[in-house]
Amino acid sequence: MSDKLKDIINKQSQQQDSVVEQLDDVVQLVGFMIGDEEYAVPILSIQEIIKPFSWTRVPQVPPYVLGVFNLRGAVIPLIDLRLKFGLSAKKHGEDTRFIVMRHGDDVAGFVIDRLTMAIRIKKENIGPAPDTINGDDTIIDGVGKQADKIITILKVNKLLERDF
Amino acid sequence: MDEFQEILQDFLVEAFELVEKLDEDLVELESNPEDLDLLNGIFRVAHTVKGASSFLNFDVLTHLTHHMEDVLNRARHGELTITPDIMDVILESVDLMKQLLEQIRDTNSDSGIDVAACVARLDKITGGSGEFETPTAAASAQEESREEENAASEEGSSSEDDEEEIDYENMSPEEVEAEIERLLAQRQEEDRKKREAKIAAGEKVPQMPNPDEEEEKAKEEKKEEEKVTPAPAPTPAPVKQEKKEEPKAAAPARKAPAQVEQTIRVDVKRLDHLMNLIGELVLAKNRLIKINDDVEERYEGEEFLEELNQVVSIVSLVTTDLQIAVMKTRMLPIGKVFNKFPRMIRDLSRELNKKIELVISGEETELDKSIVEEIGDPLVHIIRNSCDHGVEAPEERVAKGKPETGTIALKAYNEGNQIVIQIDDDGKGLDPEMLKNKSLEKGIITEKEADTMSDKEAFALIFKPGFSTAAAVTNVSGRGVGMDVVKTNIEKLNGIIDIDSEVGKGTSIKLKIPLTLAIIQALLVGVQEEHYAIPLASVLETVRISKDEIYTVEGKSVMRLRDDVLSLVHIGDIFEVERILDASEHAYVVVLGLGTSKLGLIVDTLVGQEEIVIKSLGDYLKGIEGIAGATIRGDGGVTLIVDVVALMDIAKNVKATTMTEAQEGGASKEKSQASDYVIMIVDDSKTDRTIMRKALEPMGMTLVEAGDGQEALSILKSGDYNFDAMLIDIEMPRMDGYSLASEIKKYNRYKNLPLIAVTSRTSKADRMRGVESGMVEYITKPYSSDYLASVVQRNVNFKAEFL
Repeated sequence: MSDKLKDIINKQSQQQDSVVEQLDDVVQLVGFMIGDEEYAVPILSIQEIIKPFSWTRVPQVPPYVLGVFNLRGAVIPLIDLRLKFGLSAKKHGEDTRFIVMRHGDDVAGFVIDRLTMAIRIKKENIGPAPDTINGDDTIIDGVGKQADKIITILKVNKLLERDF
Repeated sequence: MDEFQEILQDFLVEAFELVEKLDEDLVELESNPEDLDLLNGIFRVAHTVKGASSFLNFDVLTHLTHHMEDVLNRARHGELTITPDIMDVILESVDLMKQLLEQIRDTNSDSGIDVAACVARLDKITGGSGEFETPTAAASAQEESREEENAASEEGSSSEDDEEEIDYENMSPEEVEAEIERLLAQRQEEDRKKREAKIAAGEKVPQMPNPDEEEEKAKEEKKEEEKVTPAPAPTPAPVKQEKKEEPKAAAPARKAPAQVEQTIRVDVKRLDHLMNLIGELVLAKNRLIKINDDVEERYEGEEFLEELNQVVSIVSLVTTDLQIAVMKTRMLPIGKVFNKFPRMIRDLSRELNKKIELVISGEETELDKSIVEEIGDPLVHIIRNSCDHGVEAPEERVAKGKPETGTIALKAYNEGNQIVIQIDDDGKGLDPEMLKNKSLEKGIITEKEADTMSDKEAFALIFKPGFSTAAAVTNVSGRGVGMDVVKTNIEKLNGIIDIDSEVGKGTSIKLKIPLTLAIIQALLVGVQEEHYAIPLASVLETVRISKDEIYTVEGKSVMRLRDDVLSLVHIGDIFEVERILDASEHAYVVVLGLGTSKLGLIVDTLVGQEEIVIKSLGDYLKGIEGIAGATIRGDGGVTLIVDVVALMDIAKNVKATTMTEAQEGGASKEKSQASDYVIMIVDDSKTDRTIMRKALEPMGMTLVEAGDGQEALSILKSGDYNFDAMLIDIEMPRMDGYSLASEIKKYNRYKNLPLIAVTSRTSKADRMRGVESGMVEYITKPYSSDYLASVVQRNVNFKAEFL
């Protein structure tokens, strides 16, 4: 068992060495789908990823705030990113996940349609957000360029900011 | 220097304690000027402070206390009667003393506060300059009182007390010196004996006298000389004896050293943390109880159940005890707040030229620390109000045939889970008509409101901001702010204010406050599919009403509750609850009381009473109107806690909605092919489901299967299909057919969904139950496929052309 583990670790570190020369230049992200778009947030801002379970509706909030749920004794808000990004509501299915993100003391769960993968991306491959949506208010941190696609990287602190 | 600091700290602690008691004693003294015990006590305070401050070189403080001491000494010897005027000066000097002590605490120096004026006035009382009592006399008297105190308060008194009293007054300085020597020697002797006794008892005691101790003793000696007092003034003799056992004994301070300290100072943060942990435990306990109930239901009659039951009840018992115990550590006697009122009443009555007596009772009643801190301000305002507006001037009182002195009674007592603080005065009382007129004048209420107002509601007007009955704004009150503060603060604590008054007889104000804030009893109510928790402290009662008892007045719902008209609001209107369940003929009204206002909250169901732990919703969701927080229930779900204060505000702007309205669930679409018909088959047996499937498949309908009632319900609620009929087995795990049917029938949009029971239960009672729970057909197993198909066809209006 431990040999196996070592193998894997070795392989991973080799990969790391070969693919990227210096760790500092690399950002680790977790990618997920909302509608047809792929988004990503830094892996370190993610506390955990859980399967959907029941929540309690909270009155007098915008529709994208679904309510609150119990995460091992803590009461945490639940935000539907589909609704927040202006898409229509969709029933939670097999692939739906709650991503619990943390920034400082702020914690919230976000509903996403599907997880894609953990991504390592070089900093030089991350471009700024398009001019039209640039500014301090945007929740877009930048655009990551991959070989075959681009990924929108979101600012976690902005996601966790109350905007109503 | 360190040692000095240590002594200084002890001095401050002692001095503040003494001064706190001084205020009380002085006011009492005014009513009993002859009380020698009191006088002695007060004198002792002045003297102790003087002695210690001179030792610590606080000249200003010494100067002041010295003159106080003079005045008090004369009074003690009967050469002076304490008149209110003299008391004013004394109280002023006490205030100055406090200021000086604070100054010392903050800056380590007593300079910067001018005491000359006060000292001059004190001097005047004692008959001008030069006429000071000899310090010796004072000292001997002080010794006397010391002895008294020792005799009274210390059990197993030391040999010191047994000694005959020596007339120090007539001693020459040399003799005094010798006496000090003698006493010191005697004490050392006692110590040695004690140590020997301890060693004999096998205890290890440091043999060498602590050098610090020696030094300390020298100082003590010096101090004694200064005051020419043979007994150590600030420290009763037994203190020293005990203290020497401790390695670091020093500092003249603290009493009752005979036992080791009985209290520990604990950081409030630690207690808060402990309270949080208990909160978690309470939640876990609730959950355990819930699980226990479930298990009991499922494994009825099993032997291990009893054992489980026992464990659960022990856990829940201990948790409750633990919670109470921790809560108690945070409790303070309300006397801490009450203490400052005698002085306040005294000052006020002088200022207002009234005679008022304050009677305090129940000061030992305990309250959570956070509440004790909040309750002070409201009480100050209420008492000021009673003095200013309640109690009449002496002449007026005499004219009315009342005793000249007005009485304000302040009492605290427990009542269930609440503490009640009651403030009664025997003043002129509140006149509801006058209150209404005043409010009309100030535009606080409208003419119409005034007409329909009950007396109680009129009394509540005094809490409106901007309201004041005083003709002129005085120093004491009349700005119309105070009582508003009372209301806000009490409401913040989830408290209730109750006023009773009779013109000419007096007013009684009751503040009802919950014992603690973190863990509360709550009433859980249901509306549609949601649950909310309402703090039980704000719930006055609950009533079950039928819908036609609700009237609409000017777009607002109201009902008659005994003699009152109660305005109503539906909880669903406040929290935007979607109406998906069928409205029943009956509803429950939770009557909420807060401060002086009442409101009826209409809910669908009452779930029960539960102990809940308040959790914050966090930054992201804070400030939602009407929600005070959330709690985690036994089933792990989150339930929101209603903020009763905010609810009352919101309720004012909520219009009544007709409660039966609900949109008719999108009438079934025109069927264009056989597969547009969707049937759900609910049965726990796979074989049975297959048999039904086989019977219906030939018709081409879409069939959906569910293994039990709960699964069926969640499929139904998910809205993925628009079902035309359901075939339901009765005998199923988790949720049986009857419960499933009644659950489904609660929803408006499934009202017309045909439910067909397919079962092997054949008794008439079973059929009756089926009908009661909303089944339209009852097919008994075994059945023929054709029969099943035809029943389904009939119920879904299957079009013949699809066959």
